Amino acid sequence: MTIQQVLFIVIALAVLGAAIFVVTTRNLFRAALMMIAAFFGIAGLFVLLDAGLFAVAQVLIYIGAISILVIFAVMLTRGMQGMVPRNSQATAAAVTVAVVFAVLLLLFGPLRLTLDLARWPVISLFAANVSPRDVGGIEWTPPGQAIPAVPDTYIADFGRSLVDLNQYLLPFLLIAFLVDVVLAGAIFIARQRRPAEIVEDRQRQAEEETEEAEAMRRAGVLPGAASLPEGAVASASDH
Amino acid sequence: MQNVLNGIPLWWYLVVSSALFCIGLYGTLARKNAIALLMGVELMLNAANINLIAFWRYLAPASSGGLAFAAFVLVIAAAEAAVGLALIISIYRTTRSIDPEKLDRMKL
Repeated sequence: MTIQQVLFIVIALAVLGAAIFVVTTRNLFRAALMMIAAFFGIAGLFVLLDAGLFAVAQVLIYIGAISILVIFAVMLTRGMQGMVPRNSQATAAAVTVAVVFAVLLLLFGPLRLTLDLARWPVISLFAANVSPRDVGGIEWTPPGQAIPAVPDTYIADFGRSLVDLNQYLLPFLLIAFLVDVVLAGAIFIARQRRPAEIVEDRQRQAEEETEEAEAMRRAGVLPGAASLPEGAVASASDH
Repeated sequence: MQNVLNGIPLWWYLVVSSALFCIGLYGTLARKNAIALLMGVELMLNAANINLIAFWRYLAPASSGGLAFAAFVLVIAAAEAAVGLALIISIYRTTRSIDPEKLDRMKL
């Protein structure tokens, strides 16, 4: 056994154990902490795969940002933590997941089905004369061949490919736009609305409800546009 | 005939990421708390990322396609967490509950 194999097995067992703890524990805060442990293990897997850049990104983004966000949400929704961890569909979910895992094991596991796509009726029309090397214009490493080392400049290549018009510039820009919109939306959704705003909303709803209610409220408590907040609060307490 | 790097065959990574994906799927389907549900989604996205990087390393280390897509998954995960948690906090503020089974106000 090579040292990498030992490391892989230890890290994989740690990741899976932590993940199982995350989905079964009753205490949400502990679940968040174990999720951080699982993320660390996954960063270790990335190191084993010679993708040090992604190990660092994993620690910075998942552990540094997403976990903190989750922990904040756990703390902001206190009182929701002691409840039963499973919902009424848990048994069905477990069966579904077992089936999915069995299928995935059949596809990828040690006893995997060897799918000779070139022999399948419809797919053979497309796959008959295609070698893996032709797919996507990428130099695939065929099975059994020695895997080349990662080039020293892989981080620079990766960075250049993100701003190269012929490679990933368009998805990169799209995803930057997506993040912009998403962050603005998140702030809009989660912001604490001022009482006056909530009151205005309720007022607008009430106005739409019936003509009589509108008439009554106008006659009663909305003296002028200048004193809108006080008038709005008063109308809400009437409500 | 299989791809082996430092004694680790590719399918080890695929089996680990399948297991992680299934654990995350169970968390998403079976938890009674919306935050725990989001944690399950994060685990699933991480499983996808392991797959992308493992295929990059074993099959095409000279191209940067696998890395680029793994980076996109990372960014999407961050965006999803931000919006999901904002929604959960907003829902908690109005209903004092984050049990997905009780959030059926929009049911016909």
